[in-house]
Amino acid sequence: MPMLSILLLIPFAGALALVLWPGQLPPGRLRAVALVVLGLQLAWSLIVLARFDPTSSAMQLQEALPWVSGLGLEYRLGVDGLSMPLVLINGALTLVSAICTRDISQRPRIYFALLLVISGAVNGAFLAENLLLFFLFYELELIPLWALISIWGGANRAYAATKFLIFTAVSGILILGAFLGLALATGTVDFSLTPVSSEQLAMGSQLLLLGALLIGFGIKVPLFPFHNWLPDAHTQASTPVSVLLAGVLLKLGTYGLLRFCLGLFPEAWAQLAPGLAIWAAVSVLFGSLAAIAQKDMKRMVAYSSVGHMGYILLAAAAATPVAILGAVFQMVSHGLISALLFLLVGIVYRKTGTRDLTVLHGLLNPERGLPFTGTLMILGVMASAGMPGMAGFISEFMVFRGSISAYPLATLLSMLGSGLTAVYFLLLVNRAFFGRLAITPATDPVAHGRLDVRLAPVAPRETIPATGLAMAVVAIGLLPAGLGRLSESTSTAIAQLPALVSALQLAAAPLWGLQPGGLG
Amino acid sequence: MPIIPAELVHSGGMPTAAELEAKLLAGQTLLADTREHLIEVVDVLKSYGEVLDAYSTNLIFQAEHQFLVPVPLFKYLDGEKSPAKIWRHLNHDRINFEYAEYCMKAMLWHGTGGLDAYLDSAAFAENCAVIIRRKTRRDPLLALLHPLFSGFLIEMIRTAATTHALGQFWRVMSDLFLDLARAEADGSVASIEAVVEFIKDGLVAAAANPITYGVEVAGENLWVLPPEAGLTFLVDVAVPYVEAVFLRGLPFLGTVSFNAQAQQISPDQAKFAYGALFADPLPTMGAGIPPSLLMQDMFRHLPQRLDGLYRKRTRGEGDVRVKICMSFQKSMFCVTNAAIRGTFPHPLNSPEPAAREANRAYAAAWAARLAAARTDCLDPLP
Amino acid sequence: MSASSLSLPIQLVWIIPLYGFSGMLLSLPWAAGWFKRNGPRPAAYLNLLVTLLAVIHGSLILQQVWQLGPQHLEFPWFQAADLDLRIGFDLSLTNLAALELVTGLSLLGQVYALGYLDKEWSLARFYALVGFFEGALAGVVLSSSLFMSYFLLEMLTLSTYLLVGFWYAQPLVVTAARDAFLTKRVGDVLLLMGMVALSAWAGSMEFQDLYVWAAEADASGALTPLAGTLLGLGMIAGPMGKCAQFPMHLWLDEAMEGPNPASILRNSVVVTAGALVLMKVMPLLRFSPLATTVLLVVGTISALAGALVAIAQVDIKRAFSYSTTSYLGLVFIAIALQQPAIALLLLFAHGLSKALLFMSVGSIIATTNCQDLTELGGLGSRMPATTSAYLVGSAGLVGLLPLGCFWCFGLLVETFAHQQPFFAAVCLLTNALTAFNLTRVYRHVFLGPSMPKTKRAPEVNWLMALPMVSLTVLVALMPALMGRLDPVPGIASFSLPVAIAVVSSGLVGVAGGAVAPLHKFWSRSLLQPLRVLQDLLASDFYTDRIYRATIVAAVAGLARLSDWLDSRVVNGLVNGIGRLSLASADGLKLGVSGQLQSYLLTVVLAIVLLLASLQWLEWLHG
Repeated sequence: MPMLSILLLIPFAGALALVLWPGQLPPGRLRAVALVVLGLQLAWSLIVLARFDPTSSAMQLQEALPWVSGLGLEYRLGVDGLSMPLVLINGALTLVSAICTRDISQRPRIYFALLLVISGAVNGAFLAENLLLFFLFYELELIPLWALISIWGGANRAYAATKFLIFTAVSGILILGAFLGLALATGTVDFSLTPVSSEQLAMGSQLLLLGALLIGFGIKVPLFPFHNWLPDAHTQASTPVSVLLAGVLLKLGTYGLLRFCLGLFPEAWAQLAPGLAIWAAVSVLFGSLAAIAQKDMKRMVAYSSVGHMGYILLAAAAATPVAILGAVFQMVSHGLISALLFLLVGIVYRKTGTRDLTVLHGLLNPERGLPFTGTLMILGVMASAGMPGMAGFISEFMVFRGSISAYPLATLLSMLGSGLTAVYFLLLVNRAFFGRLAITPATDPVAHGRLDVRLAPVAPRETIPATGLAMAVVAIGLLPAGLGRLSESTSTAIAQLPALVSALQLAAAPLWGLQPGGLG
Repeated sequence: MPIIPAELVHSGGMPTAAELEAKLLAGQTLLADTREHLIEVVDVLKSYGEVLDAYSTNLIFQAEHQFLVPVPLFKYLDGEKSPAKIWRHLNHDRINFEYAEYCMKAMLWHGTGGLDAYLDSAAFAENCAVIIRRKTRRDPLLALLHPLFSGFLIEMIRTAATTHALGQFWRVMSDLFLDLARAEADGSVASIEAVVEFIKDGLVAAAANPITYGVEVAGENLWVLPPEAGLTFLVDVAVPYVEAVFLRGLPFLGTVSFNAQAQQISPDQAKFAYGALFADPLPTMGAGIPPSLLMQDMFRHLPQRLDGLYRKRTRGEGDVRVKICMSFQKSMFCVTNAAIRGTFPHPLNSPEPAAREANRAYAAAWAARLAAARTDCLDPLP
Repeated sequence: MSASSLSLPIQLVWIIPLYGFSGMLLSLPWAAGWFKRNGPRPAAYLNLLVTLLAVIHGSLILQQVWQLGPQHLEFPWFQAADLDLRIGFDLSLTNLAALELVTGLSLLGQVYALGYLDKEWSLARFYALVGFFEGALAGVVLSSSLFMSYFLLEMLTLSTYLLVGFWYAQPLVVTAARDAFLTKRVGDVLLLMGMVALSAWAGSMEFQDLYVWAAEADASGALTPLAGTLLGLGMIAGPMGKCAQFPMHLWLDEAMEGPNPASILRNSVVVTAGALVLMKVMPLLRFSPLATTVLLVVGTISALAGALVAIAQVDIKRAFSYSTTSYLGLVFIAIALQQPAIALLLLFAHGLSKALLFMSVGSIIATTNCQDLTELGGLGSRMPATTSAYLVGSAGLVGLLPLGCFWCFGLLVETFAHQQPFFAAVCLLTNALTAFNLTRVYRHVFLGPSMPKTKRAPEVNWLMALPMVSLTVLVALMPALMGRLDPVPGIASFSLPVAIAVVSSGLVGVAGGAVAPLHKFWSRSLLQPLRVLQDLLASDFYTDRIYRATIVAAVAGLARLSDWLDSRVVNGLVNGIGRLSLASADGLKLGVSGQLQSYLLTVVLAIVLLLASLQWLEWLHG
């Protein structure tokens, strides 16, 4: 049975059915159909998980069909310990974002169809075992997301959507260019995931192609200074789209870093790795510092993504088994945590009409405020700040633990970024949730103290998705062994790409990182 | 600057002291006379009356039967130690008597009026000496402590006396508020004006009720507050109660910092403005807000009509206790209004210039204090 | 050792931290407000019950370890590649005594809280947080691995934040909770850096393995001096934050905004847990003479400055919280000078006495609604339990009467007198200053005429009085307990001159406190130089302003710079490029009406691009 193709078939067929279904359907019915389809997709992902053998590091459940063989475009799917967790996250978070879509009155049919197309395309990109196939899916996800922002976004959505489109289009062109360039340079049309060795391709060409890929995926991750589209896209996107964007789509970038940058050009990667580690640290610090200065809750969470995705580049640069496993953990936990935070910010925004930290106060108020949302928010920001017992900590710990020997300075700087996360998120919680309940600037204390605030209540069902994510965050934090088992073989294999190991031994720092000259 | 939707926030008006004074002198009610206000005030006072009934019974029980008991494990059980009652107590399925004690402590601590003056008198000290002599004869622990800490037992007896006096005060108020509810139900009270008048009449009628308190120590009945002390309901207990609970109150740990260096709390208790008329209802049921206990008690006794009214507003059942607190504040303004009306030095329609001037000064003094209170609750809801 | 040969209580030691955590879970239904009609007290009772179980379980283990000797238990938690993280428990007498201190004080504090917070509707949340707090603490003291210690210390940081932030609507609480978290977090991040490095170098995170590794690495010189120094500083940063040592002490002052029952625990057991972790990492400081020096300097400054600042406080809670900083400074000195046994005794004696003092303080606040020393007075004759608690607690804290700390001071002075007389002097001076402070506060609060706010001051309710009296008895019996804790060489193993020196320093302090002028309405001196000094101490050397001018300003400045860089430079560049590439400035501001068209256009463009490139490839290879 084509296990993996069904993971693509379910959302794409669902999208087609939604579009082609005759007659006028109410938005609620359309949402229900989308939920069923996404539920099926998640269930099927779990079936795939059950069939998945975590002890093997190879591609599993492979399927192959020739497509345009002359071009090297082959329909070839497979799953390993790197893509399996991401497929699960995709299934879960697309479902979450459909669940938290409640008030779509404008073109609901297209909205849900686009959501399903994105989910299918993301599955395709994670499962593709052919560079061109990956690229097709990578591009396929772009247009629906652009539409989701530009049609269902906020007041300034056109600007944000266009910016997103241009950035991601550049990203796509660079990636395609690198893939085609690889074919051109090696003179084969074999677009499979085989590492390139220096016998096949001169180091200069390798570095050039890797550079293009790095920028291409760096835009998607996003890494400083290519992150500029992300805060705008998030602030203009609706909550479900933000959940999808932060939780799933950014992971295409980090997945690309591990699978294609590191996976295709291990030797060139090893050469660039020290620079990449510093780039990671800069990105982490920049994202964290910029987040501190934000007044808009959503922008703050968006910048936190820039910071937290930097850890993955750091881990990839170090490329030790623990670091790579940490990177996988970080992808999963960032997906869950940032989705959780965007959901909660979305609730606050829906109830108060603002996300401005200078006017929101005291939302923990038990009767008139949003106490449960606030409780989950505290949990979410603590998870993001790397509090033990939640998913963020074990991920960051592994990233740091795996990277410190190779790149001590970059790792220590990144840890500083982890400390800064506590600063901005504590500012967020203390400003918006502590104090007397109010949604006005606290200029006149007397008037402020007399303000009667009448926010609509948060229905329990509105917090169900967030509660589920919070429980997942705690579960992974307390019992990381399950996820560890799932990805350990693959991440160890990635870290031990033979060429990489030899190259690393030549180029990088000695094992005792803090020996003379090791620091810095 | 973000745009805040207007329907999410609301700020009531704040009448000036002059406006309040004019209203008081004209014999108008402070609270706007609307149908909704009438329901809110009467029904919330009805639930308050039921709660006060329990508070009063328990305070009197504590003062009489738990007098100087070192570990009063069952002080909230009113002497009934059935397993079912103990289970309900442990499950916290009960009235929060802690709030009654809180009000008692506020009265004792602020220490104004006739009762407090009597607690410092020589006659009281003599009564205490007799009680302590009898008590220490039977109780070795107290016999040991009393010589070492000479003020200890006297202070405890003062506490018991205040407890009992508050119990007696609330007995009257409970009956009055329940009567009010009956009067409204049979149609004889149909406006806020009538509510204020009804309460004023009740207070005036009870004004001269004597306040006395005796305890039984080792089989002997001894007076703590004897009849000859001449303590009466209105001036010696009701007025200090209004001062301590309605006006001054105690700072809430949940909203005010006790940090001495921050100097948020005035060193002068007379300047305190934390009482029921000044408190912010919005944080009700939050941390460090003691009146939450009272709101919970009233919530458990909420009349159906008021419940129906609340269900239509804001969050319905979800924020009902904040709404109770808001209505309670309105009703306390009515009670204050009645008390002021009942204690004017001269009739309001007196033609004498001296009498009018005295009334004006009296009204001005009240208006000055009330102007800083939560008068924004007096307007009808938009 | 095979686990099955051990008795059931020891095998089940992993449950000990879970008692506290389960208390938190058990409180959740009430804390979340699922019971609309009933109050939150059952949550408190359930927490008391599980804490009682923890006390009993702990004492069963203690009893058995007493007979069997120390035990070590390990459970796997997470293993991947060369990373092996385990949950480990070291059941030594020291750790178990600390556990009993933690659970016992937690039990007393919880009963006390039932009285202190009797009109608190959020009682369930308070107990949930205390349960969380207690669970983390119990785990920290038993933990046998650095990883687990860090894990739980961070949880402790979180629970401190939540407990200090308990009255979240109070404006000063908002800043206090934030500062408490961030200050501790600075220490924690530095500790994390050290721990991650150690984990990478040494592999195992078990303290015993780390000690072995450190000895080998030291012998082979595998670590550069720089790395060793950084490692040492990282290791001590965590405990420094937890123990509120200068310059990371400010949070303890601000944490006094939290509820008093939590202050009781924070000033006694949290700081103790921090110091215990320091003791456990001490052998790792062998690479770093600088770290030891830093410990001594920080300890000395904290001991003396803390005691001086305490004297200048007008707030009764803060007068004692700075004294905590001061005593933990002495503990730091003792640990740095390789006297862990004395440090342990001091922690024990200080913890119990300080907890008792804070109970007494809580009673005063509950009765008088006031924390300002200048507004208090004349409580002594009316509050027997509170007054006795204060007196016994003070006696336990000061080296004067033969209660707890007297013996500790004796041992400290005896040990330091010959090799490090300077530190002996520091101990004596701290003792004198503390005695001065306690006497001063006693005069303010308990003696003199009653003040307006203390005119009516009945003794507190029995739920507060009972734990206070129990702890009073315990503190009075402390020398006997300490004797059992440290049978060899015995707590009285110091000479008579040392004893005389300790008693004299205490006497000097008491005498000074007794004659120093007290101003009820004028807390500042009229003498200009004295007033400057007083203000300096009263405002804690303006530490908060120094923070604001340095770290806070730096972070805020960098944040603004990053934001500016992003919104002006990067964004400007992007917009500029966008404008150029789209030929018209309107390109970036596509109208909503044009969306469908541009959508279709882009789809077509993308497909054309793709097909063209495929075509090109075909051509290339065709």
